[in-house]
Amino acid sequence: MKTKSSAAATFLKQNLVLCGIVVLIMVTAILQPKFLGAANLTNVMRQLWPLPFIALGMTFVIIGGFIDLSVVGMISLVAVVTVSLIDPLGQVGAILVGILLGALLGYITGTVLTTCGAMTQAEVLFITYGMSSVYMAIGLIFTNAETLRIARCTKPITIFNALGSGTVGIIPVVLIVFVVLLVIMHLFHTKTLAGRAISLMGGNKDAAYLCGFNVKRSMRMVYTISGVMSALGAISLVSRVTTATASCGTGYETNAILCVVVGGTTLKGGKGSVLRTMLGVVLITLLGNCMNMLGLSTYMQTVMRGAVLVVAIWLDNRKEL
Amino acid sequence: MKTALSKIWKVISKQKAVLAILALLLLMLMPQTRAMFYSSSNWMEMLRSAAILEIVAFGVTVAVICGGCDLSVGGTLCLGGIVTVLLINAGWPIWLATLVALACGALVGFVNGFLVVHQKTEPFIITLGMGMLLKGVCQQLTNAHPLTSTVPAFMKISNGKLFGSIPLLVVYMIVLFVLFFCLLRFTSFGRNCYAIGGNYEVAKYSGIKVVPIKWTAFIISGVTATLAGVLLSSRMNTGNSVYGDTTGMMVNCGVVIGGTSFAGGQGGMLESFLGIFVIQLLSNCMNTMKVDGFWQKLVEGLLIVAIIGADCYSRKRKRERV
Repeated sequence: MKTKSSAAATFLKQNLVLCGIVVLIMVTAILQPKFLGAANLTNVMRQLWPLPFIALGMTFVIIGGFIDLSVVGMISLVAVVTVSLIDPLGQVGAILVGILLGALLGYITGTVLTTCGAMTQAEVLFITYGMSSVYMAIGLIFTNAETLRIARCTKPITIFNALGSGTVGIIPVVLIVFVVLLVIMHLFHTKTLAGRAISLMGGNKDAAYLCGFNVKRSMRMVYTISGVMSALGAISLVSRVTTATASCGTGYETNAILCVVVGGTTLKGGKGSVLRTMLGVVLITLLGNCMNMLGLSTYMQTVMRGAVLVVAIWLDNRKEL
Repeated sequence: MKTALSKIWKVISKQKAVLAILALLLLMLMPQTRAMFYSSSNWMEMLRSAAILEIVAFGVTVAVICGGCDLSVGGTLCLGGIVTVLLINAGWPIWLATLVALACGALVGFVNGFLVVHQKTEPFIITLGMGMLLKGVCQQLTNAHPLTSTVPAFMKISNGKLFGSIPLLVVYMIVLFVLFFCLLRFTSFGRNCYAIGGNYEVAKYSGIKVVPIKWTAFIISGVTATLAGVLLSSRMNTGNSVYGDTTGMMVNCGVVIGGTSFAGGQGGMLESFLGIFVIQLLSNCMNTMKVDGFWQKLVEGLLIVAIIGADCYSRKRKRERV
């Protein structure tokens, strides 16, 4: 009996933020019976996108021991390029080019980082921020800061419509796409050599290097994954809001980091899993929904997010002391 | 040949800012821009618009030299201005409102210091999160609307001119520069900051009180950022929650451009001053040459990548040589 209670205490200690949010959600559910109603939950399922995609990519970067602020620029650029290519290439071509562009941008970021030899989180943080403003500026120059609308396209946009509001039964199409992707990425991370190399790199770069792993290649790989995921996120975002501007990615980087950290992946790298991140995404989205239900202003939600981020990192750090 | 090249590289990597300034000044000698750029009014205006960033950078430099980093200065700056304007509009005297704002800044610095120094967390992400939190606080306080001050005297703090020609903001900047320069150069606090940034463990075992000193560095950074926020709000006569959106990143990058490295223990006030001045000079040059705003953003991003990349690269070379 005693061991059981101490195990529970350890679990609580390890996942304090997670438990806190769960408690908050339960309190909201009691105070606002509508919270768990079908209407609200369907609404949440629609609001969720594109955060899960971006958080999924960010998880790999953080497990690898780095951080990626360039997702803002990548989402913005991919969104505007994809929408503007629907007419010349058709929707399938546009989506393919968008994903390829995301991979390319991520690869460029990774290559810049490995060429400079950026090894600490500080260096990575600033360089990816710089890359982000470069990508965003390219998007601005490309669109001349105009808003592009899907509805104005003359070619069919059925895929975008399906991703944006289509459902199979009651499950949104985008959720199905995402779950398939999630399973693939989880298997990639846990079952393949390349995936394990990412974890090893995050745990100890020198050890990984001395074991004969190509650390630079792993680094480029995590950023490429992040780029592809950002591109998919951009496409799902475009599908949902049906417009694209060259600044539509703003704010997703901190939210994605928040989801990853709340899920329990440590910023020091090496530990964590994509499934935990998904828990983080769901909880953070529900948290936002909770605060809407309780009538807090959107500004207070920003405060709350910042506070959760700071506290989560702090508690995560205390575990190792 | 190789040694000559590496010598040149050494000089460049140390004096990036000076070189960049010289290059820009040479570029501006072009006949189309010469007259407009090399006018005393343009230079005075440039110094005046650089003043706010410079003042923020002075405080951040102390934190960076200690081996920290403060990305929350954007939010702190914003908060300082808004708190002051709110209190003045509520009928408080200006000096008291400013003091309260500075106390808020000190509090932010205190919390940052507690988390980063006492609890040993990574400063970058923590201060980034703190900046986000403060942004939310600012939006909540103003309801995301610009908040105009109703007291005309407040506007005079930053908008006056000394001897009828030198803007007061420039005067404040110079005074603070001298103050911080002396603080780092001639006090035991300043010297200890370098020691802590250079090697934390060695400083600790040498009997330097590492935790209180590094903590103080964060408080200084918070207070200076708030002061800059008060001055900015006075210049605009407005407290606005959009001030300082890019300040945190810009200032920290500018500090590194000057030669203060994130590894800590290097650099100084003069370097930071020049680093921030490069950013300001670049944007002024591009404005004079009538470069499109989006292209300016692109150049700014490339500049950040290039400078921080070069900083990393030189450290990588050093690592490999050992």
